[in-house]
Amino acid sequence: MSFSELRRELLTLFSRGVSEPLGDDSFNHLALRVFRYQSETNAVYAGFLGRRGLDPESVARWEEVPFLPARAFKAVPLITEGAVAERVFRTSGTIFGPSQRGEHHVRDLSIYRASLLPNFRSYLLPEGGSRTILCLLPAPETAKDSSLSYMMGEVGEHLGGEGALFFADSEGALQMGAFCKALDSAVEKGDPVLVAGTAFSFVRWGNWAKEKGWNVLLPPGSRIMETGGYKGRIRVVARTELYSALHGSLGVPADHIVNEYGMTELLSQFYEPVLKGEAGAGGEGGEGSASLKELAVRYHRGPPWVRTLVLDPLTLVPLPEGEVGILAHFDLANLGSVAAVLTEDLGRPVPGGFRLMGRSQGAEPRGCSLAMEEFMASISEGS
Amino acid sequence: VTPFRAYFFPSGYSLSSEESSHLDTPGGPVQYPVLSRPRMEELMGLLRTARQKGLVSFPVERVVGSVDRVARRLLDPADELRQHALAGLGPHAGFSQPMAVTVLDGMARDWTAPRLNRLLSSEFPDPLALDGFRPGPVGGLVRAMGLPFTFHLGAGSVPGVAVTSLIRALLVKSAAFLKPGLGDVTLPIIFAEGLEEEDPELARSLAVAYWPSDLDVQTELLLGGADLVVVYGGEDAVRWVQGRLPPRTPLKVYRHRLGVGLVGRGALGQGGESEGEAGEGVVGEEVGAGGHRTATDAAWAVALFDQRGCVSPHVLFVERGGAVDPEGWAKLLAGALGELERELPSGQVSPEEGAALQQLRGTAEVEEEAGHGTVYHGGRKAPWTVLVQTEGELTPSCLNRVVRVVPVNDLAEVPSRLQAWVPFLQTVGVAGLADRGSRLREALARVGVSRIVGFSGVPWPPPWWHHDGGGPLRGLVRWTDVEEGG
Repeated sequence: MSFSELRRELLTLFSRGVSEPLGDDSFNHLALRVFRYQSETNAVYAGFLGRRGLDPESVARWEEVPFLPARAFKAVPLITEGAVAERVFRTSGTIFGPSQRGEHHVRDLSIYRASLLPNFRSYLLPEGGSRTILCLLPAPETAKDSSLSYMMGEVGEHLGGEGALFFADSEGALQMGAFCKALDSAVEKGDPVLVAGTAFSFVRWGNWAKEKGWNVLLPPGSRIMETGGYKGRIRVVARTELYSALHGSLGVPADHIVNEYGMTELLSQFYEPVLKGEAGAGGEGGEGSASLKELAVRYHRGPPWVRTLVLDPLTLVPLPEGEVGILAHFDLANLGSVAAVLTEDLGRPVPGGFRLMGRSQGAEPRGCSLAMEEFMASISEGS
Repeated sequence: VTPFRAYFFPSGYSLSSEESSHLDTPGGPVQYPVLSRPRMEELMGLLRTARQKGLVSFPVERVVGSVDRVARRLLDPADELRQHALAGLGPHAGFSQPMAVTVLDGMARDWTAPRLNRLLSSEFPDPLALDGFRPGPVGGLVRAMGLPFTFHLGAGSVPGVAVTSLIRALLVKSAAFLKPGLGDVTLPIIFAEGLEEEDPELARSLAVAYWPSDLDVQTELLLGGADLVVVYGGEDAVRWVQGRLPPRTPLKVYRHRLGVGLVGRGALGQGGESEGEAGEGVVGEEVGAGGHRTATDAAWAVALFDQRGCVSPHVLFVERGGAVDPEGWAKLLAGALGELERELPSGQVSPEEGAALQQLRGTAEVEEEAGHGTVYHGGRKAPWTVLVQTEGELTPSCLNRVVRVVPVNDLAEVPSRLQAWVPFLQTVGVAGLADRGSRLREALARVGVSRIVGFSGVPWPPPWWHHDGGGPLRGLVRWTDVEEGG
């Protein structure tokens, strides 16, 4: 089994798109081959498995594979066969906030591209066609280590009418004037557009627009992809406010705002299938406004080449539906690094996907865990 | 399941059926009060009156005696009060039952008369100044009195802390309203009920109630009505209170704190010598055990309160040059933490804490595979984790008995390495400092450490400790001086 052999198989699989289901056995078969290849060609990963007394040959199901914590990607470059990375992606503190740091040495960008495009198309442009794409993100040329900028660059090139336009500098500062001009011109043309950015950047945009009294009514069918920002202490309430602000400033209703959940360490992404008419689409919030109820029933789904488990926080045993645990993803697109990744995110399995969870209701952060957040904040302020 | 009634109000003040609500919590359902402004004002009035007509003229000896009787009941295995306390303490705090017992024993012991009397003597040259005018230490007459009505906001991290706050208020004759954190909701209610049985008149100056954050308006009413506010919590909680406090109301703040430990080669046996010979050295039995005893004591310090205490160590600096090297000692510590799971099992690991724990462990394992550091942990059975860290930034633990061992060539380098921790530092556990003790203690005091103690004492600061560097009672009183001709 070689990298190029598996790569070829995966590219074929990805090219079938995300609507084509992949049966349990087919996924398992492919997943175990990817896992064995990785265990044989990545000494550090092999050591991680060896500590558990695990013989990769004896693993019969992908669910039995030990999931590697996402943070380990940053501690040690994880790449199969010690190959040279085509690109190293890093989550920058300026875009996601200081706590969201990640790193991924990507062996082969073509696999990333092949995974991201059909997935994005399916959840953001389910009716097909192309859109003008405006991004509140730094351009891929200026932010070479941002996997999100890379993704939107590829999306622009293949699914955007004339490529994507980027409205942030390499430090993440937004170019409000140019963005407003682009919005105006979209309204003039009357064609629906797609606006993408981080929740962070949209909050900044919303504040700016409110302060300036600036608003626009984007053509019907326009949509927003926002990512990041709903973990930890930011609650659903903040999201309701954000969506209302976006409705106010851009005229895009909540049922046309899709949250993308992705991470530097995974080359595949997860989306809320709202534009496909699922997961709280067309809820009871009325014209455009996002009700708490509607957002609370939203969930995420990945492409067929990713499987997700929700694990017990201590034993790492899969939890039954309805229980909150740690999300672990097996992403075949991670062929060149490690496919089985344990995240720091909490979720609960639901039919059709998983629901990302913030801090559970009634659970107060206990003692010094709060001090730790404060400690980290004081360190990053100081440096 | 019958909800836990998360409030205690003075006798005569009862709630109508519309004045309470329920909340499901990880420790079971709780029932909490929902009070209108006039009803909250009525309650505050009752507390003030009770203090004015009773508590303020009770001798401090009576307060000590009544609290002591409740404490002794909490310590008596045959007493129902203790049984009630233990039934709720573990589940609400997320502690195992043996931990709940250990915490209750340790806390209630400090509420007994001999301990409280030592607290009074430590705080006041003449504690009877709390009962009336007494000759001042350098002449004249002095009288100390707590403010009439105090409001206490607990954090909920460690059960018992909130009751201690109430007792401090009662000792200085202040009426007290406590809103505990959810993790510490049981003990204050049980304590107040016990006090009502032992000294009903005294208990009239006391109210305890929990409510969730959507009833912050109730908290704001109390902040507006109190003469002094005591808050335990993180920066956000403190800022929230500060923003709502009338400008003249004094505020006493106890922020979240972290502990560290120093293990000197004196506790690890002398390098190059046999254990027996080293045993005759300067620090006695610690040496003879070749670091075993220190490891056991340090494990207890880390494990107690599942590391949620402000006293709990997060990082242990271990000196090279002893018979046992820091790496070897880390293994002893890991063994001790593993052993302790039998005697003092870990409590529930929340999903948030578990997520952080798994990242930490797995990353350390990968780093070890790549040749950096070492990690020991309790696997799927227990959250305890020991990381040997030889490089990189020192960060606090994600709790649940996760501790870093940092090898150092000389403990003298530790105080300067603690710079980033200064605003959070509190307790430093020590062992094997030998004749370098006085120099190190001075250096630690200079960086802002407020408590230095042998590892076995780390979890249990005595009632008279300078809590975060200040006098626990002195901050609660106002003095009246009578000078010549007065």
